[in-house]
Amino acid sequence: MRHKILVHAEQIDGELQPIALELLGAGRMLADKLGADLEAVLLGHNISHLAQTLIHYSADCVYVADHPELAQYRTLPYRRAWVDLLNHLPQPPHTILFGSTTSGRDLAPRLAAYLETGLTADCTSLDIGPFEYSNSKDQSKSGTFHDCLYAIRPSFGESLRARILGPWKNPQMATVRPGVMQAVQPDYSRTGRVIPLAVNLQESDRLVQIQEIVRNVTSQVQLSKAEVIVAGGYGLGAPDGFQLLRDLANCFANSAVGASRKAVDAGWISYAHQVGQTGKTVRPKVYIACGISGAIQHRVGMDKSGTIIAINKDSSAPIFKFAHYGIVGDLYQVIPELIRQMRSSLRQAA
Amino acid sequence: MDRLLSRPLNCYVLIKQVPDQSSKAGVNPDGTIDRAKAKRMLNPFDRYALQAALQTKQYGAVVTAITMGPPPAIEVLYEAIAHGVDRAILLTDRRLAASDTLATAYALYKTLRWASQGRSLDLVFCGLQTTDGDTAQVGPQLAERLGIPQITYCESFTLQGNTITAKRVIEGGVQILQTQIPALLTITNSAQRLAYKTLRGAQRVQQLQRDEQARSQVIHTVSLDDIGADPERCGLKGSPTIVAATEKIGEIGGNCQVFQGKAVGVMVQQLLQEVPLAKLQEAK
Repeated sequence: MRHKILVHAEQIDGELQPIALELLGAGRMLADKLGADLEAVLLGHNISHLAQTLIHYSADCVYVADHPELAQYRTLPYRRAWVDLLNHLPQPPHTILFGSTTSGRDLAPRLAAYLETGLTADCTSLDIGPFEYSNSKDQSKSGTFHDCLYAIRPSFGESLRARILGPWKNPQMATVRPGVMQAVQPDYSRTGRVIPLAVNLQESDRLVQIQEIVRNVTSQVQLSKAEVIVAGGYGLGAPDGFQLLRDLANCFANSAVGASRKAVDAGWISYAHQVGQTGKTVRPKVYIACGISGAIQHRVGMDKSGTIIAINKDSSAPIFKFAHYGIVGDLYQVIPELIRQMRSSLRQAA
Repeated sequence: MDRLLSRPLNCYVLIKQVPDQSSKAGVNPDGTIDRAKAKRMLNPFDRYALQAALQTKQYGAVVTAITMGPPPAIEVLYEAIAHGVDRAILLTDRRLAASDTLATAYALYKTLRWASQGRSLDLVFCGLQTTDGDTAQVGPQLAERLGIPQITYCESFTLQGNTITAKRVIEGGVQILQTQIPALLTITNSAQRLAYKTLRGAQRVQQLQRDEQARSQVIHTVSLDDIGADPERCGLKGSPTIVAATEKIGEIGGNCQVFQGKAVGVMVQQLLQEVPLAKLQEAK
C-alpha cells in the first residue's frame, strides 16, 4: 500500500494561511522521494471551496471536515476531527506535518501524545533518508531503517542544527516554521480527490468555549508584510527606546516595529512584536536590528530578510556576523541621525 | 477575583532547570553543552508560570512545584519556595536520561498523579516552552495524558467558581477562552512578571536547607519506582525520537560591511550610500 504524507491545511476565517501551501511544498518533495501520496486535511466551516486550491498546490487528495463547531480553531474539536480521520485510515500515515503556529504548536503535541508517536518541533528543513542506529543501552531500537523522516531544526541554546529521527513508529510527526518552506507553483489544471469527513464531537470536546477573538490586524499584517522592519532588543536599555524605533519605522511607507524575546521578556513591548523562535518568521526587504545581539533564537526568525542592517554598541555582537551592513555605535545617536539624513534627502528630492 | 470556596483548590506548576545561555561556561568546542559544567538557571518561561500559579493563592490554593532533573535541580524548587509555593517535588532518576518530550510528559503525568493522591488536581501551569528544548510540546502532551483541556499561549486568567477565563495570544491578536477546572495552562513571556521573593519564603528556604527533617516534609524527592512509572516508557527507551546528528550552524553572510570608529554622521552617510533606504520612505 502506498504511503501517505498528511499536512494540516491551516485556515483562518476561511482564508488559507501561507503555511498550508508551504507545508504542501515541503510535503511534495517528501512524497516524491517516498513514492507516497500527499494529502491535506482541511478543517473549518464553509471552507470546502479551499480544497481545490490545495489540489492546485500539489495535494493529491483533500480531507474536508466542514462543520460549524470547527469554524474557529479550538484544540479539542480539531483533535477529534484528526483522531477520527486517523482511526479510519487503513494504516498510519508515514508523516504528518503541522505549521509551527499558535494552533499547530497547540494541536500537534496533543495528537502525538494520543498516538504515542514522535514529534519534532519547529523544523526548518525536512528530508527522507536511511538511518542506521545502534545503542548498547537500548538494543530494541537498533537496526537499519530506510525512508525515514529527517526532521531538522536549530538546537538553539547550543547553536547547532539537530537532525531528529523517529523511524520506529508511524506517523513520524513534525511542526514546521512558517516562512521557511517554499510552496510549489500552482497548477490550475491539476485534479484530485476531495473526501468529506463526518464530524462527531463528544461532550468532552466542547469543554472550552471561545468568548471573543480580537485580531489586531494592523500590527500583525504589518510585521509579516512590511517592507522594512525596525526591531529592538535588550540593548535599547529601556522601554522608551521603542518610541525612537517607531519614529524610524514611521519614515518608511510600509514598515513595522519588531522585537527580540529579551525585549518582550523585559515587558518593554507586547508579544505581538516578537520575531524569532517563539514569535514570527519575517523576510522584509530591509531589517534594521537595533541593540539586538543576534542570538540564534532571533536569527532564525529574520535571517532571510533582503538586507540586514545592525546597529549595536558591541562590535563583537554575533549580529555583525550575519548582517549585511553594520554600524558600531550608540543607537540613541545613530537612529536620530539616520532619521535626519533620510528626511533631508527626501526634501532634496522633492 | 471571587472564587466560591466549595473545596480547597490544588494547583501545580511544572518548572525546569536549564543551562544559562548567557554564560559561556560548559560550552564545548563543538557547540554542545556539558550540562554538568554549565551555569544553571530556572527556565525563563517558567518564571511566568510560577507567577500565574502563585496568583491562585488568592483563591486559597495550595501550590505544588514539580521539577524533573538531576539532583541539582532542587535549586529551582528552592527558588519556587522562596517565591511562595507551598510544597515541591523533585523527580530524579538516572533512567530518565535522554527523555524526549513524549517520555517527559509521561514521567510528569505519573508525578502529577502521585502528587495529587488524596487531593484534587485543579490547575496545572507550565511555561510556554523551555529555552533549552524550545519545543512547547510537553504541556499539551501532558494535558492529553491527563485527559483535561489545555490553554496554551496563556497571557492572563481569572477564576470564578470553577470557571477559568483566559486570554490566549494568537497570530495578530488574542482569544478569550473559558473552561472549567481541571485544566492545564501554558504561560507566555508576555504574562505578568514574577514578583520578588517574599521574606517569609526566603526564610523558609534557609530553614529547609539547614533542617533535613523539615525539608523532607516540604520537598519530596521521588524516583520512577516511587511514582509507579514504567521505566520502559521513560528515558531513551520511552522516547520515540532521538537526536541522530548535530552540526554547528555555519556563519551565513560573514561579510558584513561594518562602519565603526567614525563620527555618527559619517557612518550613517556611508550606510545610506550603500543601502538606498531613502527610496523606501513615505513622502510626507
